[in-house]
Amino acid sequence: MLIAKVLHSPVAHARIKNIDVSKAKSLPGVAAVLTYKDLPRVVYATAGQSDPMPGPLDTFSLDNKVRFVGDRVAFVAAETEEIANQALKLINVEYEELPFIIDPRSSMSDGAVKIHDEPEYVVHDLSDPNKNVAAAIRIDIGDLDNGFSEADQIIEAEYKVPKVHQAHIEPHVSISYWDENDRLVIRTSTQVPFHVRRILAPVLGLPMKRIRVIKPRIGGGFGSKQEVLIEDVVAHLTIATKRPVRYEYTREEEFIAARSRHPMIIKLKTGVKNDGTITANEMYALSDTGAYGCHALTVTGNTGHKAMALYTGDGKYRKAPNIRFYADIVYTNTPPSGAYRGYGAPQGFWAVERHMETIAAKLGMDPIQFRLKNCLRAGEIHPFSIAWSEGREPKPEYIQTIGIEQCVHQGKSAIGWDQKYGKQEWRDSTDKPYLKRGIGMALMMHGTAIAYLDMGGASIKMNEDGSFNLLVGATDLGTGSDTVLTQMAAEVLGVPVDDFIVYSSDTDFTPFDKGAYASSTTYISGAATTHAAAKVAERIRVRAAMILNDRTDGAPVKPDEIILKDRRAHASDGRAVTYSEIGHHSLHHKDQEQIMAVASYVSPVSPPPFAAQFAEIVMDIETGQVKVEKLVMAVDAGRIVNPVTASGQIEGGMTQALGYAVCEEMTYDDKGAPVERDLVDYHIFRADEMPELETIFVETFESSHPFGVKAVAEIPLDGVAPAVANAIYNASGAMLYENPATPDRVWKALQKQKIN
Amino acid sequence: MKPIQFDYYAPTSVDEGLDKLTELGYDGKVLAGGQSLIAAMNFRMARPAALVDLNRIPELAYIKPTDDGGLAIGTMTRVRRVEQDAEVAKRFPLLREVAQFIGHAQVRTRGTFGGAIAHADPAGQLPAISMAMNANLLVCSKTGERWVNATDFIFGPFMTVLEPQEMLAEVVLPPNPPRTGSVYKQVSRQKGGYAQAAVIAIMTLDEAGACQNVRLVMMSVGETPIVSEKAVEILVGQKPSEQAFKAVAEAVVTGEIDPATDLHATADYRRQLVRVLVVRALTEACERASKGG
Ligand SMILES: Cc1cc2nc3c(=O)[nH]c(=O)nc-3n(C[C@H](O)[C@H](O)[C@H](O)COP(=O)(O)OP(=O)(O)OC[C@H]3O[C@@H](n4cnc5c(N)ncnc54)[C@H](O)[C@@H]3O)c2cc1C
Repeated sequence: MLIAKVLHSPVAHARIKNIDVSKAKSLPGVAAVLTYKDLPRVVYATAGQSDPMPGPLDTFSLDNKVRFVGDRVAFVAAETEEIANQALKLINVEYEELPFIIDPRSSMSDGAVKIHDEPEYVVHDLSDPNKNVAAAIRIDIGDLDNGFSEADQIIEAEYKVPKVHQAHIEPHVSISYWDENDRLVIRTSTQVPFHVRRILAPVLGLPMKRIRVIKPRIGGGFGSKQEVLIEDVVAHLTIATKRPVRYEYTREEEFIAARSRHPMIIKLKTGVKNDGTITANEMYALSDTGAYGCHALTVTGNTGHKAMALYTGDGKYRKAPNIRFYADIVYTNTPPSGAYRGYGAPQGFWAVERHMETIAAKLGMDPIQFRLKNCLRAGEIHPFSIAWSEGREPKPEYIQTIGIEQCVHQGKSAIGWDQKYGKQEWRDSTDKPYLKRGIGMALMMHGTAIAYLDMGGASIKMNEDGSFNLLVGATDLGTGSDTVLTQMAAEVLGVPVDDFIVYSSDTDFTPFDKGAYASSTTYISGAATTHAAAKVAERIRVRAAMILNDRTDGAPVKPDEIILKDRRAHASDGRAVTYSEIGHHSLHHKDQEQIMAVASYVSPVSPPPFAAQFAEIVMDIETGQVKVEKLVMAVDAGRIVNPVTASGQIEGGMTQALGYAVCEEMTYDDKGAPVERDLVDYHIFRADEMPELETIFVETFESSHPFGVKAVAEIPLDGVAPAVANAIYNASGAMLYENPATPDRVWKALQKQKIN
Repeated sequence: MKPIQFDYYAPTSVDEGLDKLTELGYDGKVLAGGQSLIAAMNFRMARPAALVDLNRIPELAYIKPTDDGGLAIGTMTRVRRVEQDAEVAKRFPLLREVAQFIGHAQVRTRGTFGGAIAHADPAGQLPAISMAMNANLLVCSKTGERWVNATDFIFGPFMTVLEPQEMLAEVVLPPNPPRTGSVYKQVSRQKGGYAQAAVIAIMTLDEAGACQNVRLVMMSVGETPIVSEKAVEILVGQKPSEQAFKAVAEAVVTGEIDPATDLHATADYRRQLVRVLVVRALTEACERASKGG
């Protein structure tokens, strides 16, 4: 198998004037060197999303231009990794360097250099490459000006959130080869195998039917693998060499040439009455998509769609909220942003939940009472559902279940809120005068799948011995979805999960699934699996009735009287047929048939999970050091199918969110070169540094799903950072407008607070 | 990455090792715990043509009391052993306190006491501690040996007075007089991470409770650990007070340190840390000293 390597650009923005690969090609052991001259020029988008792509097409496998330090220049395939690395050094490139943009605030300036000037660029909706705008959003709900005119106070502030990295354990890795039928097989660490096949076909110039994508067991993704990031590299090289090729990102490549969370500058302006009623709420987000517009529209759309939907206002504003969400998602010459668990919502909630805290303080109101007074209630319409749907036709969605008050109630008692909040003795109850305790909270809502778009399919086949094959398109990326989906099918069919043989995510063998994103698998793929199981159950009942009635040892039985339990079909008179008998009977004995069913599911709603996040900290008011002591998250995620995997999602999510809160940040020097390139300089929380975590499930039953579930996967990313910052405010009075809360930043905020 | 090609020698005695170092001259480099050197070689920042590995020389690893009540520590003694040694705990509790901040247990189990000092990392704790404790270092070569005070040993970031044919053999820590209190204070971005700034204070009080002697050392805020002269000027002969400690902090911050902005912290923030840590370290050292040390 050949090993692939990619030559990455050392400069932030340049045209390739000359590229000479002759020396690299003649190095013994080198099988191929590809540059833009060798590949067809096909414009596409790397975001792993459904058709039609909700964003601009602005990417080529290889281009004659580089747009960030780390961008692709050439591909190499060689017999060994050493030779491949050697070959990279032998490629001679002459760059014509161009002006570059690092700060998104200058992207739209007059006279700014155009990052995308390629004629093939395909705009989507409001994207405008002439202004370096990858996407723009203009959402108006109600009458904002009127809302502000009815306010007693208007509170404005600007917030900033950094770029952060997913840091999945397994890097991106792909293998491709031609199989014996001359079809290209791509085994890849992806969250979106079906999107990989659809998106790559034109890029490779192959009919889709000649591509098979397999997702084996993989080691995490967190959104980073909702991207067709490196599959094209191995595929192009296999096509060029006719040989199997493997490409695995190094940790450094993950930092310099993958995707990350969009950094944003967010302005909030909120009108409130003195009694705490929000009358109008306006957000403007300047979002930095980096050099390419992958997920540009949808991530930033989610920022408003989630964070600006939670607080509609009280009284008459519940029926007629005044909300504006505008955003510009601009290009810069930095590595592209993309999908990262939370998908825009953590950025939004950082700003909104800091802002709510500030407003409550200004009004002299209890911050929790203020939030609950203004937040959504059951039966109300999701305000964004009638205003925006990623460019598709918006359709109304009503909130069915909302356990947010219970979340607050249970979370408060778990963290001891009433004994701590606002209590001077508690704040000072440390052994040093310069250490202060603080407690803070945030409310959040997320979504569950994308309504009218996300589809998952499942099929179930019964074998002679009463075992079943479950084939699902859904992508288990370490989340345990294979287990959870099997649990649902096993529940319907009355068998232990061991009786299932699960196979998932193979474009040749499993039904379609849009993939693992948008907190959708348990809900969407779970519903598909449940429906397929119900169809199989119906065939089992029919056959069981046939067998029992042929026996004539009792009264005639109707299929719908039969109960499936303990691997048997039970008649009401106590007679039963084992699944093994049914399996043999159906395949060998009489009126033979394959008991098998396929079902798919797409939802007309995206029922939001809700949560309350609590954080307790101790901080040093002289050095700005903050130690998070405890995190409690109370979540309404509907019914919990598997408490172990669900709480694993919450705990893992809070861990990542804690990094966002206090230490994680990707930065670039003045030439656009990434500063953090490994997990030493980019610190993520280790097990031995973690505070105590507590997860509380406030179960509701979401009637739109057969088992009543909503999502848990992304919501834990939303609240930790603002809750920690609010706790810092509680402890010291220091107001943070930018995360993460590094000691440096906290100290500066403390200085400002002293001056005020 | 992997290191460039190099030769490797594993002498089993000090004499054999010194012979090899003399023979190799500038091509040779001593390998101790390898916790810094091997990483530097892997990144190809260090490119020695040959390594002289001291790990097979048992006579270089020991902790021995000296006649005057101090300790002599063989260069190859692992940091972990120093951390856990009962004699060290009795005579120099500071060493045990500090050791916990040096990387992780794994690093300390391999890394050596002498190697860390010879490495002279401006962000390393042991070079700073050896300066604060007024350690004497025994430097050997084939042609003889010499004693160098720790303060003279280190003269720049990763720079010492060691010649290529020399090795550091022993570190001698003089005893603390009675009524001496010592404290280490550090701030780092995360557990096990390098210090953004750190301060060591060792204070001796006289019988009347006045400051008889003080050694105040700052690290991670200059090219080498910085031994404060201002602290001596302001405090010695005076009754310690919060006001005096604050005066020292101000004098140190304005006149003695030269912090840089880097990945780990801004210069401004480092100054603030020193301002805070100096006062805290002196206060605690004084408390400990007044309790007998
Ligand atoms: C993950 C990690 C975290 C770390 N964190 C910290 C930390 O927080 N604080 C800290 O202070 N250090 C830290 N270190 C460094 C560690 O303390 C090193 O062990 C130490 O700095 C060097 O000691 P060593 O025995 O490993 O020396 P080596 O790496 O073997 O050698 C270091 C240098 O000293 C020279 N040398 C060694 N011994 C002698 C001798 N006897 N005579 C002459 N020259 C000699 C070598 O030639 C080389 O140039 C960390 C290391 C790692 C890997």
